[in-house]
Amino acid sequence: MIYIGAEVIVSPLGDNAEDNWQAISANRSGIALVPSAGFNGEDIHLARIAALNGSLRFQQLVVKALSTLVAKIDASIVSSDRTMVLISSTKGALDDNINDQFSETNVAVQQQLGLAHLPMVISNACISGVLALNAAGNMIKNGQFEHVIVVGCDLASDFVLYGFQSLFAVSDKPCAPFDAARNGITLGEGSGAVLVSGTKSVFKDPPLELLTGTSANDANHISGPSRTGEGLVRSVLKTLRYNDVSGDEIDFISAHGTGTIFNDEMESIAFDSMNLSHIPLNSLKGYYGHTLGAAGVIETTVSMQMIRNGMLLESLGYLNNGVSRPLNIITKNTRASLKTVLKTASGFGGGNASLLIRKI
Amino acid sequence: MSVITAYCRLTEDVCAVNGEVKLRRNVALEDSWFKQIYRHFDFSYPKFYKMDKLSQAGFLASELLRKINPGIMGYGDDEIALLFANRSSSAETDQRFKDSYTSNSAPSPSTFVYTLPNIVIGEIAIRNKWYGENMFAVLPKFAPDFYKNYAQILTSSDSKAVLCGWLEVTAGNTDVFLFTVEEKEGGTEFSEENLFRLLETAATH
Amino acid sequence: MDSLKEDLKKQIIEQLNLEDLTVADIADDALLFNDQGLGLDSIDALELIVLLEKYHGIQLTNPEEGKEAFRSIDTMAEYIRKRKAA
Repeated sequence: MIYIGAEVIVSPLGDNAEDNWQAISANRSGIALVPSAGFNGEDIHLARIAALNGSLRFQQLVVKALSTLVAKIDASIVSSDRTMVLISSTKGALDDNINDQFSETNVAVQQQLGLAHLPMVISNACISGVLALNAAGNMIKNGQFEHVIVVGCDLASDFVLYGFQSLFAVSDKPCAPFDAARNGITLGEGSGAVLVSGTKSVFKDPPLELLTGTSANDANHISGPSRTGEGLVRSVLKTLRYNDVSGDEIDFISAHGTGTIFNDEMESIAFDSMNLSHIPLNSLKGYYGHTLGAAGVIETTVSMQMIRNGMLLESLGYLNNGVSRPLNIITKNTRASLKTVLKTASGFGGGNASLLIRKI
Repeated sequence: MSVITAYCRLTEDVCAVNGEVKLRRNVALEDSWFKQIYRHFDFSYPKFYKMDKLSQAGFLASELLRKINPGIMGYGDDEIALLFANRSSSAETDQRFKDSYTSNSAPSPSTFVYTLPNIVIGEIAIRNKWYGENMFAVLPKFAPDFYKNYAQILTSSDSKAVLCGWLEVTAGNTDVFLFTVEEKEGGTEFSEENLFRLLETAATH
Repeated sequence: MDSLKEDLKKQIIEQLNLEDLTVADIADDALLFNDQGLGLDSIDALELIVLLEKYHGIQLTNPEEGKEAFRSIDTMAEYIRKRKAA
C-alpha cells in the first residue's frame, strides 16, 4: 500500500494544514482586493501571502512547508538515500532569477534539510501538483525510492498576472468556479506538502492511502481546454481502471474549477460523460485562488483534511449553475463520511491528471 | 527488452538523426537555424512559425524521428508517453514575455502561452494526436537515470512506447536530444551507458 | 493602394509571427479567422488587440468588440479609421 499523510499548507489562510482547515471550514477566503496590482494599474483580486516579503520568496515558501512537514514525520528518513523530494511548480523563483528558476532553491533545500539527493522539479503547468503526487506513488511502487516528499509551490507574480490579463482571463471579482456569472481566474500563491511512503510507521498521525493515478493529453490546443473534455475523461477512466475502483465508489470530487468559462464547462461535460455528475464536487479556487503548480498538492491536501474531518466543504463563490451539464456542487458545508476521493487537474499544454485518496 | 529505436540530435550547428548528420547550419542564410531545418525537410505545418524555440525544436526533432521510425505511428493514440526534461525551463521565452511588457508595450498573449516548458509536449501531442501520459521535469543536467527510471514506470502500465526528450534551447545554446524507446527484441539496449554514448557520438560529428 | 491596409498586413505578419506569409499573400477581404483565409485562432485575436494599441494607440477593453473588427483587413482598417475619427 502507498501511504500519504503529514500534509501541510502554507497560504494566506495559515502556515499549516490545521490553521488552513479552521479558516476554510468557516468558509473564509484568502482572496483580497489588491490596489493597483494590474498591468494598467487596476485593482485586482489576488490570494497573496502578506507576510511573504523580500527576495527568495519561492525558496522561503518551499522551506517553510518542508520544515513544517518534517515535524510530522519520523525525521530520520529525511536524510536517507531512499528519500526523494519532488517540487511541483510552474514559475519557481522567476522573480529572483529568470534564467535559472530552480537551481538555487534546490541547493538550499538540499542543504537546509540535509537531503541525500537534490530535489527534482516537475513543471507541467497546472497539473504539476497532481502529476508530482502520481510520480511519487510510481517511484515508490517500482522501488526507486521508499519515501517521496512532494512540495508544490508557486507565487502570484506580476509576470503571471500580466500574462493572464493579456488573455483576458482574470476575474474582476473573486473567482466563482462553475457559477453562471464566472468570468475568469483569481491568482493565488502558496505551498502544499505531503509525504508519500510505503511505510506507515514514519507518519506521526495516521496516513491515508494514495491510489496513484494517471495523466492524459487533450491533443487539442496548448492554451484552451478541449471542448469535449477528452483528456480529462481519458485520465480519470484510466485512473479508475488502474486502481480497480468504480465511479460509484467515489464519495467526493475535488475538481480543477478555475472559474474560466471554458475550463469549467469542459469539466462539466467530462464528468457528465463519465456518469459522475451526481457526486458531490467542489473547486477550492474560491479559497486559495489558482495556485498553478501548487494547486494539485494544496487541493489534495484539503481533500485529505475533508476526509479526516468528515466534511464536504462548500464550493466558495458558487451561486447559480453556469455549466451546460449540471454538477452536484457543494453549496454549504455538510457532515459526511468520506472514504474515496477523486482529485483532478487540467492545464495549459493540454495536460490532464487525476488521482484517488482513500481512507484506510 | 526496452530498446532505443531512433534518436535525433540538434545542436547549434548540426542536425543529426541516428548518428548521421542530416544538415549543417548555414550561417550565410538569414533564416534561423530551426527554420533552415524546417525548410530543408519540406515540413508543412504553418503553426511552426508561431511556436517558441523550445516547441520548434521539439516539433522538428519529433518529426525527424517519425520519418526515420514510422513504426511509432502504429501504436494506439494513448500508448505513446512523452517524457521530457531540460535545465532552463522556458527561460528564453519567459525573458521575451517579460520584455514584451517592460519595453513600452502591452504583455503579449501569444508569447505568454509559451512561458511553460511543457507546452512543447502539448504541441507534439496535438501534431500527432497522442493522448498518452505526459511529464516534464527540470533537472540540473541531462540525466539518463531519470529517463531510464521513469520510462520503466510508464511502460509497466499502459504506455507501449516513450518519446523521451532533453530540450535545452537558450540564447546561444542548442542542446536537443530526442529518442524513442520501445519494447523489441534486439537493438540498442535502453541503458544509461548507451544514452550517454548516443548523446556524445551524435554531438561530435 | 491603401497604405493603412498595407501597414496592417505588415504588422500582422510581424506581431503574429506569420513568417511563411508576405503582404501579397493577404487579400484585403480574406477572412482572418477562417481556415480558407489566414486561419488565425483565439490567441491571435488577443494579439491583434495588442497590435491595435501598439501601432495605432487604440485600446480595446472587451475582446468581444474585436470580433467584428477583426473579420478581415478591410474591416480592421475601417474600425481604426472610425475610432480615430471619433
